[in-house]
Amino acid sequence: MELGALVVTQGATLHAVGNEEARSWCSAWPVVGKTVLERWVDRVRSLQVNMVSVVDRGVSVPDRVQKMVDWAKEGIDQILVIVMGSYAEVDLTDLVQFHQGGRHTITRVFDPEGPLGISLLDRRAVLRELPSTIGEKPRPSRYDFMGYVTRLSSTVAYRKLVQDALEGRCDIRPSGLPTSDNVWIDPTAVVHPSVKFRGPCYVGANSRLNAGVTVSGYSSVEENCEIDLGTSLECASILPNTYIAPGLNVRNAVVDGTRFEHLDRKVTVDLGGVDLSARRSDNNRGNRV
Amino acid sequence: MTGKGPTIVKQLPERQSKLHRGLFLDEVKELVGESYRPRLIVDLTSCGGMKADTIDLLLECVEEVEHVDGRVSVAANPETAVILELTQLTSVLDLFLSVSEAMSDHPLSAMSPISDMGTTQIAA
Repeated sequence: MELGALVVTQGATLHAVGNEEARSWCSAWPVVGKTVLERWVDRVRSLQVNMVSVVDRGVSVPDRVQKMVDWAKEGIDQILVIVMGSYAEVDLTDLVQFHQGGRHTITRVFDPEGPLGISLLDRRAVLRELPSTIGEKPRPSRYDFMGYVTRLSSTVAYRKLVQDALEGRCDIRPSGLPTSDNVWIDPTAVVHPSVKFRGPCYVGANSRLNAGVTVSGYSSVEENCEIDLGTSLECASILPNTYIAPGLNVRNAVVDGTRFEHLDRKVTVDLGGVDLSARRSDNNRGNRV
Repeated sequence: MTGKGPTIVKQLPERQSKLHRGLFLDEVKELVGESYRPRLIVDLTSCGGMKADTIDLLLECVEEVEHVDGRVSVAANPETAVILELTQLTSVLDLFLSVSEAMSDHPLSAMSPISDMGTTQIAA
């Protein structure tokens, strides 16, 4: 049986558009080193799936369906469709076995809160070649999942996933080397000796923490960030390529360039006008010694 | 002397040029310089957007008011409040979401306007 996988992302530019969407989780945001999308693709590839296609949610449904029809015509027997709305630690091998063992044509994955956007489709269902159900839609079977799930619904949910990863409540392991205090620091990060950590926390690749910085409360600093002198991070996530100015108290927040979202107050502000944060260029990567 | 001084309410000028900030600060200096333990309430609720200069101006106000043992409060919308917390200004001033909330924190709440530069109100 050959398996193909179609992963439909949330869209990489959600944070740059309307204000309501600004509070949405963007699938381009890494969670302690890797995006949820990358983690999904890794898990799919571990099933020995060679045909993996990642499409943006902006791609129309007919185009997505056409892709699946093309695969089915090329001989792919089953197609795993993951519409990125959650991070769920579904045992994909077990899902495939459930689907095959029950001779199901469509299997949809649910958790107690509802569908997870994960479906396994038989090629006959894709090509509508089901003699017994001509003219009818094939009835999907239901695979109930009771394991770890976080829905990618909001920035609060993003912070929860970061916290769960750092606390070991899910299978996500931060990249980098852990210290004895549960602080993961990428080998390429530059951390001044005076920086104080209260783990668990995470510092990603090519990031720089200057003198007097404190990091606590399950905070994460993703790749290519700079946290300037004396700034304290508590229960905060700093997204890639972000510079944070000196002497700030960043608490209960997610910062993406100049966009600062305070999770308690449910307020998003642009820090660019007050020069408190900035977008770092990708050129900074690897330039620090 | 342990009694509390007057409460002064000042609205940040809409235009925030160097000249306007200077005039604002001069007026604050004049008002607080004549009193002991004043409470300055800076109204930022209609402030369109914070700038780095606004933060500097608030710090200068704090410095002036503390010279006479006073205290600065700020009434700010949630966006501005986030910036004040982020910059740790809340460690040197009190933060409220409205002027009335800031006033009610003070036992003396009678107000009377005294100036054209921004809106100034004072309670004795």
